Amino acid sequence: MPCVRPRAALPHVARAPGVFVRPRGTVFPSSSASPFLGFLAARHTPFQQQLNATPRLDQLRILGVRYCSTIRMSSQELESQPPSQVKKYLQQSHDRIFENNKRWAEEQKAKHPEFFTNLSAGQSPDYLWIGCSDSRIPAEAITGLGPGEMFIHRNIANLVCNTDLNVMSVVNYAVRHLHVKHVIVCGHYGCGGVKAAMTPKDMGLLNPWLRNIRDVYRLHEAELDTIEDEEKKYDRLVELNVVEQCRNVIKTAAVQQSYARGGFPVVHGWVFGFKDGLLKDLEIDFEGQLKSIQKIYNLTADASEGS
Amino acid sequence: MSTFADPIDRIVAGNRVYAQTTAERDPNAFEELSKGQAPEILWIGCADSRIPETTVCHCKPGELFVHRNIANCVHADDINAASVVEYAVAHLKCGGANAALSDADLGTTLNTWLHPVRELRRKHRAELEKLPNDDARAVRVAELNVHQSIDVLKQHPAVKRAVAERGLSLHGMIYDIGAGQLRLLEEAGGKKGNGLWSPANK
Repeated sequence: MPCVRPRAALPHVARAPGVFVRPRGTVFPSSSASPFLGFLAARHTPFQQQLNATPRLDQLRILGVRYCSTIRMSSQELESQPPSQVKKYLQQSHDRIFENNKRWAEEQKAKHPEFFTNLSAGQSPDYLWIGCSDSRIPAEAITGLGPGEMFIHRNIANLVCNTDLNVMSVVNYAVRHLHVKHVIVCGHYGCGGVKAAMTPKDMGLLNPWLRNIRDVYRLHEAELDTIEDEEKKYDRLVELNVVEQCRNVIKTAAVQQSYARGGFPVVHGWVFGFKDGLLKDLEIDFEGQLKSIQKIYNLTADASEGS
Repeated sequence: MSTFADPIDRIVAGNRVYAQTTAERDPNAFEELSKGQAPEILWIGCADSRIPETTVCHCKPGELFVHRNIANCVHADDINAASVVEYAVAHLKCGGANAALSDADLGTTLNTWLHPVRELRRKHRAELEKLPNDDARAVRVAELNVHQSIDVLKQHPAVKRAVAERGLSLHGMIYDIGAGQLRLLEEAGGKKGNGLWSPANK
């Protein structure tokens, strides 16, 4: 069994600004990222030459931290490359993670020698986060939390379905065993899952999963149908989806019983906006929702560790 | 550790700091993010709070598509995980893997969820019994669990298609919480030393 991958198995290079334009834009555009200036010279270098270039890791400083980055290619661009280049690209985009991880681990250890020893002792997070799989919303980064502080489940369109053993196991473990104080369901505007659900199209395997979002629409049909602007309607559906998933969390026996016993967890519904990077609190009235839900879904009696 | 009385205030403040510093460093950052995502990696990891994938991999928002559940399981009949797919990542000292070492009653939900991991333990009983202690057994169970998840992923129709059409690769990794480091697992067949699935060798 190999231990940690040896460093620099293959050369890494910085992403060359503007050379390979990704179809839907790059994250953190290089045009305004001055740390990249040193690489502007590489702008017109052919792909293969860049791939073989030796990186100057000390220049790869973005947002105050160092990243080992590779040139990004879209799937279309990749398909037009010869097999040897495709293989190289796959190797590099893979190795980059290990490079970054190793550097991160070294930095943490240098800053706090006990960091990993303390972490390996166990976890006692205050929060359970149920968010979307979308790569642009890394929960810990956008909330400023470090390792050990937030238990996280992420799936397509942050859904909480009562027959889904996957998410139910997460809620169960977080509430009954880790005793989290807050459960946060966080959606985001521009959610591809919500959009896909509202598209009149057969999505195969995704149909049953996305059906839950169509059901949210049906529950709020009267309100949504009055919104004429398509974009606003879609934004509202994202919010209502979060509200309904919060209700689904509150319907679980784990949350109801824990709250009856100790007064926690509290369930929150939030939406993340890419436009300003801020979280919007939908201000769900937890106690009010709990009360209305328990009229029908009360599971506080005869606890049997169920969902 | 925290100066906030209410833990919710703490992360709301954390988010404001994130939004402000990101916008200060790059005024176009959020505008670009709102255009869309094109991540190259799907991370299937444990829900454990100690392994925030974007942080431990030193990645930026937009780089990792993420699914996290208890003990990073990929069950053939799980539609939640099936809606996602490319990489598989696990970690040592996994509460899920530890729990699967015994048959203690964890309640109906967790018992059912961890059943496949416990079955794995039974299937490999002979090998596990030879290990010196329960810590070593938990590590091995975590590894076996990753291998099993990869096997399930390989049979997934969408994965098969992506492997054939665009060279999608599958990787098993273990995260060592005590060292903060990722370790790549060998492919079960041991075909490739570095574990990187190669389209040319398939």
